[in-house]
This record gives sequence, structure tokens and C-alpha cells, in this order.
Amino acid sequence: MSEEEKFDAIIIGAGPAGIACAYLLAKAQKNVLVIERGVTAGSKNVTGGRLYTYALEMVEEGLTKAAEEALERKVVREQITMMDGDKAITIDYHDLGFKGDVPQSYTILRAVFDEWFAAQAEAEGAMIATGIRVDDVIEKDGRIIGVKAGEDEMYADVVIAADGVNSLIAQKAGLRGELPAHSVGVGVKEIIELPPKTIEERFNVGPDEGVAKLSLGCTEGIQGGGFLYTNKDSVSLGVVFSPEQAAKNGKKIHEIFQDYKMSPAIYPLIGDGTTTEYGAHLVPEEGLRGVPKKLFRDGLVLVGDAAGFGINMGYIIRGIDLALVSGAAAAKAIIAAEKVSDVGPAYMKELDNMRLIPNMKAVAGFPDILTLPRIFSTYPKMANDVFQYLFTVDGKVPTKMTKALMGIVKKHVTMGQLMGDAWRGLKSI
Amino acid sequence: MANIVVCYKWVLDEQDIKVNPGNLALDTSRAKSKISDYDRNAIEEAVLLNEKDGHKVTGLTFGVAGAKQSLKDALSRGPAEAVWVNDPVAAEADAFVTANVLAGALKKVGNYDVIICGEGAADTYAQQVGPRLAAVLGIPAITFVNQMSIEGDKVVATRKLGDCTETVTASFPVVVTVLPEINKPRIPSLKQVLGASKKPVTEIKLADLGLNPDDLKRKTTVKSLKGYAMTRKNVIYKDGSTAEKVAKLVAELAKEGAL
Repeated sequence: MSEEEKFDAIIIGAGPAGIACAYLLAKAQKNVLVIERGVTAGSKNVTGGRLYTYALEMVEEGLTKAAEEALERKVVREQITMMDGDKAITIDYHDLGFKGDVPQSYTILRAVFDEWFAAQAEAEGAMIATGIRVDDVIEKDGRIIGVKAGEDEMYADVVIAADGVNSLIAQKAGLRGELPAHSVGVGVKEIIELPPKTIEERFNVGPDEGVAKLSLGCTEGIQGGGFLYTNKDSVSLGVVFSPEQAAKNGKKIHEIFQDYKMSPAIYPLIGDGTTTEYGAHLVPEEGLRGVPKKLFRDGLVLVGDAAGFGINMGYIIRGIDLALVSGAAAAKAIIAAEKVSDVGPAYMKELDNMRLIPNMKAVAGFPDILTLPRIFSTYPKMANDVFQYLFTVDGKVPTKMTKALMGIVKKHVTMGQLMGDAWRGLKSI
Repeated sequence: MANIVVCYKWVLDEQDIKVNPGNLALDTSRAKSKISDYDRNAIEEAVLLNEKDGHKVTGLTFGVAGAKQSLKDALSRGPAEAVWVNDPVAAEADAFVTANVLAGALKKVGNYDVIICGEGAADTYAQQVGPRLAAVLGIPAITFVNQMSIEGDKVVATRKLGDCTETVTASFPVVVTVLPEINKPRIPSLKQVLGASKKPVTEIKLADLGLNPDDLKRKTTVKSLKGYAMTRKNVIYKDGSTAEKVAKLVAELAKEGAL
């Protein structure tokens, strides 16, 4: 192997994790190669997009400002909608403080953002090769020393697997097995174009402001939910749900999505829009439990979705921020390490220092709530029945409130189930 | 060994172009660019000839500043070097202007034995640049080629003409325009992609070609550019049994003269 074919680092995948890592390494004068399977960075992902800016700032202070062109709207409305047929309750939290100097979060279109971010890394000197699939890692004496892409072999001191939730590299390196069906959600998403003015009117936001909405009760009882993000001139709308349960129930993905789209809580928001993109992807759902026991080997580290870094709390879904932070952590570890075998342990330390693992630990129990089957259908229905009772005025003598509420609860669950779920819920948080 | 120059055009990816359903105007604001599909066949053919007999392959393009991106892509497909005439005029150039510019660049570069072009561009498909280029240079053009080889200082090419083929021979220098069926362009490998950034690129300014202002004045005018929308009748045959619905459909199609 000739010297010129050896890199300081080869990064597989040009998503936020891979590029954050490449960007910092290139800035530190490291010889970096990013290999991306898609034709351009960002072309192979479907995230319905929200970026928490603290993560960009952790990669480099001021990066959010620099990225503004590639970001969509500042999220100032956080909404949770509980749906039941033609009824729905929406909680709408409006906070202009979220706009701040560096807004807390932006909606993003990954195709736009990833391409921008990749261009920054390239400008710093990282080499980005697109349209190429990495097939395997090259091992020597128990160390990962490079990658194979088709006939080509390429060598590096460290390989960074940033190849997403279904990380082939993590599997090939023996760090994780095949993905069990229950550990992931299937996400489907459409991008629906609407004029900016229409978006601002329908969602009651200013020109640079946006909405993030999560919906429950739209997946026909299957574990999962809907999401909606407003972009500059489009809406990202989708559902994420358990493929395992959907298969058992015999539900078709597109039917669930279509029902969500046409539901009275959603359709008026997207009506007259033009669907311009459709995609599907896997999402890590298990939180800390989905993170492999080991995130590194000699010569290899896992970052982003490939490392299982995802947080789903039901009302907040995080992944891109964790990807950015983990990519930056890997870069810092590589820059600081004196020898290759130091990189892995240094990476783990950085993940702690940069508060990624503590963040995931703090909410490690949430998947337990989200596997309570009643969360996705029974409770949204129950809540809607309560509101229907509260707001119905039809001239009849209303039932006494305590009695009515008990009646509604009993219609949906037994006291035992309710207590059990409450106990499990409290324990999980 | 022949000096093969392969010309390519950096065009908008038609997949990214949107048609406004109201006035049929084209929205190209989000369109990415690519090497014209048919020109990929031209590049592949040049590279195949090189791999077979050992020739020197140079990529040549005339484009705006954005076409710089194309060089890495083109070079990853196999040419040893690339020449890029960089000028905003390219955005407005028709085949007349393009042929003049390419001819100017070829004269400046000097050595050319075989010039390979795609039969037409993926955006306009005017099929003009190849033959015009030959005319400007005063050399033969062989068009509609679906098979070619280099023998000594001659090109032997098979032309596909309607229901027959014609095999022709021409001495260097010669322009050959190839059909998409001539080969299947490769997908560059990792090493080819990495190697591309190390290959030499010559950037030429239009002013350095010594062309007359008249050579740069387009001969054609574009009066309008619009999307094409097929109007659909949107008829659904809902009533009756399957056999009846099919019968209705067939009757309707027959009435319209479609059957």
C-alpha cells in the first residue's frame, strides 16, 4: 500500500455525524476521506427535520449563524396533537424565547443542510467521494486498517462508521448484530410544498418562524406517531411506527400515512399543497438500550445513528443533534490521541464530556412508556372523550362530572390497567 | 497512439426541473447539474478505446463557472486530463457558438486525432454541435455511431441509419458522434473518484481563444421555453362488471381512434 492511499481517517457516510467529524478533522489539518453512498450528501436520508442548534455550536461556536442559509424555520411552536377519528386535542406551546440569538432549534431539510455542511468540510480540505458504497472493513491483526469499496481498498489510521441506523460497517466489525425489528421504527415522509405565506397563516407564525408537531392516535393503535415540521416553503409530514406491530396487524404503511394525511386535524394544514418528495427510512427507537455495548474497536469508532444514538421521548425526538455531537466527539478523540489504540477510549470520554451519554441515560426509561400499547390509541381516545364531554352542550342535563369522567375512563380501561400504566410510566421517567 | 478529445456538456438534471402547472413555466431554481447522459457514453467510448489500444483521452467542456464541478466527475470516468473553457456566454450559447468555442479550444490545445461527442445534448438534443464542430475544423464527421474502433490513423465506425447500418472509415482528424446504445457508462470506483482530483485540468478563458465577436453571436433565438403537460381525460369506468368496464374502455378507445 502506497503512502498516498493512506488517510488519517476514513469516514463512511456524509450525514451530520460523518460531516461534523470530517469538518473538525480537516480543520485540524488531518487527511480525511468521506465516502458517501448517495449521489450527493443528504440524498439518502429522510429525517423529517429538526436541528437543535446547541449541537452545531458544540461542533464549532458560530456554526448556526453560518448555516442559516441551509436552515428552514426557527421553531417557536411546539404542538402535541391527540387524535381520535374526527376529534383531536392539540396542545400548542408558543415560546418566542426559543428564537433567541441562537434559536433553540430550526426545522431543516436534510438534502439542503447536508449538502451545505459537506461543502464546508470540503472547503476545509476533506475529500468527499459520493456515489460509492463501502462494502466491508479491512482487518489486520485484530485492528481495522481500512475499507473495501468494490475492488478498491483504502487505508486509514481510523475508520469512522457514520453509515446510519442500519450500519453495515458496525455489523461487519462485529460491534452489532442484525437489527431486531422491535429496535427500530419505520418512518415515511412526504414533503408537501406550500407558499410561505400560506404556511405562516395556517400555522400562525411569522416569516422565519416554524412549528414542530407530534401526533398520537394516528397509527391505528400501532406503536408510533405522526410528525409535522414547517419548512420555508414546504411541510414535512410523516409517520413513524413499529414495523413489527404493523406486520402483525396487517396494516399497510401507505394506508396509515394516507389516513393521517386526510385526518381533519392535518388535512386543512396541507390542503392545496403539492407533494414533491416521498421517502421511507428506519429510525432507532430504543434509546440507550439500542446503543451497542462497545462503540469502538482498534481503528474504528461508531457515530450517530450507527451508534444507536437516538432519543424518543414521545413528545421530543432527537437524533441529528446527537449525530453532530458524536461526530465532533470522535474528531476530538482522534485529534488528541497519540496512538490509534487511544482513540476508542478517548471517544468514550468525549461522549461523556460532551454530555451525550448523560443525556441518553437521563431518558433511558422512556422507551418503556412508548411500548405501553394503550398510549397509541386508548388514551388519545379517552382524552378526546373527556373533552367531548366537557364541551358538549345540547340542552340535556349533563351527567355529574365525577360520574361522567369515571364512566369515560371505565369505557376504555380497567382500573388495574390504568394503575399499572401509571406506575410503569412514573417508573420509566 | 491517438489523441482522443471527448466533448461533454454540463446540463441541468431534468429530474429536478419543475413545471408550474398553471403557466407551464420551468422552475430550475433547485435543479442540480450533471454531465449530459449521452456525453457519458461519449466519455465511456473514449476510455474504452484507450483501455483497448492505449490512447490519450482528454475531456473538453464549455461551461459557466458552475461547470467546474463537472471536471472531477468527468475525470473520474477515465480521461487523463480535462480542458474547460470557462465563460458566462456558455449559458446562452447555441450550437453555432458552442461549436466555434470548442473548435477554438481544440486549435489552442493542438493535438487532436479523434473528437468524440454524444449524439445530442440531454437538455436540447439538437444534434448540432458534433457536425458543426467538424465543419468549423474542416474535418469529416461520422454521426449516429453505435460501434467504433481505431485502426492506425483511421477511425472505423458503424452508423445506425433507420433499418440499415453503414460502416465508414475516415482518416484522422475526425469527429464522431455516438449513440447511447454504443456502451454502458461505468460507475466510477472509489479510486477513480479519488484519482480524478489529482488529474490535470486546464482552464481557458474565452478571450484567449481569439474568436471573432461574430463567432460568439448565437444564430438561433429562443422565443419561449415551456413545460409540456399532457392533458388527461380522467375517465374512470366504475359501473358494471369487470367485463362490462373493459368493453366500455375498449369501445371508447376505438371511438377515439386509439385502437
